[in-house]
Amino acid sequence: MTARPAKPKPAARPKTQAAQADKHALYERAVQDPASDVKFFTRTYRKLRGADPVSLREDFCGTAVLCLAWAKSSGERTAVGVDLSQETINWGLEHRIVPAGREVASRISLLCADVREVKKPKVDVACALNFSYYCFKQRQDLLDYLRAVHAGLNKDGVFFMDLLGGTEAIIEGSVDNDHGEFIYRWEQARFDALTHDFLCHIHFLFPDGSKLLNAFTYDWRLWMAPELRDLLLEAGFSRVHFYWEKTNAEGEGTGSFYEPDYVENQEIWWTYLAAER
Amino acid sequence: MPKKPAKKPTEKPAVKAKKKQPVAPKKARPTLADRADKFALYQRSVQSPGVDIAFFDAEFRKHRGRVPRTVREDFCGTALFSAEWCKTDPQRTALGVDLDGPTLEWGRNNTLAAAPPDAAERVTLVQADVRDTKLGKSDLIVAMNFSYCVFKTRDELRGYLAAARENLVDDGVFALEVYGGTEAVVELTDERELRGGLVYVWEQEKFNPIDHHTLCHISWRFRDGSELRRAFTYDWRLWTLPELGELLREAGFSDVRYYFERVEAEDEDDEYMTGTGEFVEHTEIENQEAWLGYVLALK
Repeated sequence: MTARPAKPKPAARPKTQAAQADKHALYERAVQDPASDVKFFTRTYRKLRGADPVSLREDFCGTAVLCLAWAKSSGERTAVGVDLSQETINWGLEHRIVPAGREVASRISLLCADVREVKKPKVDVACALNFSYYCFKQRQDLLDYLRAVHAGLNKDGVFFMDLLGGTEAIIEGSVDNDHGEFIYRWEQARFDALTHDFLCHIHFLFPDGSKLLNAFTYDWRLWMAPELRDLLLEAGFSRVHFYWEKTNAEGEGTGSFYEPDYVENQEIWWTYLAAER
Repeated sequence: MPKKPAKKPTEKPAVKAKKKQPVAPKKARPTLADRADKFALYQRSVQSPGVDIAFFDAEFRKHRGRVPRTVREDFCGTALFSAEWCKTDPQRTALGVDLDGPTLEWGRNNTLAAAPPDAAERVTLVQADVRDTKLGKSDLIVAMNFSYCVFKTRDELRGYLAAARENLVDDGVFALEVYGGTEAVVELTDERELRGGLVYVWEQEKFNPIDHHTLCHISWRFRDGSELRRAFTYDWRLWTLPELGELLREAGFSDVRYYFERVEAEDEDDEYMTGTGEFVEHTEIENQEAWLGYVLALK
């Protein structure tokens, strides 16, 4: 009996760029700039407290690249990252923290926990970036979180948040940012003027036409600057500072910040605030 | 509505100046702006109490199963709403409350003087703080033309809302007029032409995204080219709808509802939408360039 010819294996279809992409790596490239955050926190803390901050807590840390940048910035510095997603923390450990070497990694600890539950260790600087605290839609929930942050700070501690605003932040729409190897698309799918409920997505689009749609989805409330000030003071913080990025003659951001009392509203802005314990 | 303090008469110099040959100043013909009455212009340009009363009547009946009889008009200014309220039903009474004596006086001498005596006598005007809790109870309290935005902290505004709630009867209703949208949070000037070549000018001189303080003015231009510049100035915090909802609940109201004025294009190609005077209840709303509405709070 003649052997039946083996069936030819179907030719493997080349994977699309979207199928090969890693959404965490794309997110870091598109959205994060941890070195700038570290620089801003350090400068601002020095100005407010006259000392160098040593310990950091990064709430909603995701892959914890900010913790990493913090620990790398000085041999004394320690960082704690807190996130609800063990999967994202594991990605950060495997791809970022462990490869940074034992010395740096030993000064970083990552906790899979609710940011409202972590009160120790007390830190000099706590932060909630990338608007993640927008997930608290009820005033009481955000207040509870801010109280927990306050309780987890050293006596001289400072808390940093970033915030988003402007006339184009409070409408539906999407904006593309071309990074060469991919397009980052930020979509505001819904903004409800009645509740300030804010539904957003991040999509990645690739040159071969493939897409990673809804790579990240955020079901948020867009908190306004005066609401944050009111809440922070109610949570026990003594002073709240709003910073604004200086622009050059062409109107582009310079990475340098000042503290104005009054600014003209813009189409879109994001900025930092600092709250002193 | 908040009013600028009345101008003090220029003080006479203590020492008499040396007698001088009096020079008759050349009298320019008074312009339309010189002759205008800013309170009358305000009523004409901004207020339409008939539309508001129809809306309040319908909603009060829907939620409370009866018709409201007593109203309190907070920041009443010249009390146009109060007068109109009393004209709609011989059993109705109105209490107008404002901090500014001269404005109330204008209301007595003009708004109430022009109303049928039977209606005018059912309007009471008091010069008081709207947070006064001894004003007596009403079925309906209205805070129109956004005047509550003079309260710039949560504590102050909550204090006002709680005081209003205290002064409502058990099934009373409180109404706040609200505005917002992407064009409410920028600096801009908006002009609207009224009959007779009169132009109403709404100016948002400042809006600060850091604290939501806004500085606004009302001016009028006349057909002879003259202008009544910044006749009214408002120094406000522009409260957002979720903030108002939270504060109303903190002040003890049991239910909060949101209504927005329906707008339509005047003709098909018209990109500008015009208010229809019809208010429709919403539980969510896509943001717009400009919206106007009411928040109703049930005691």
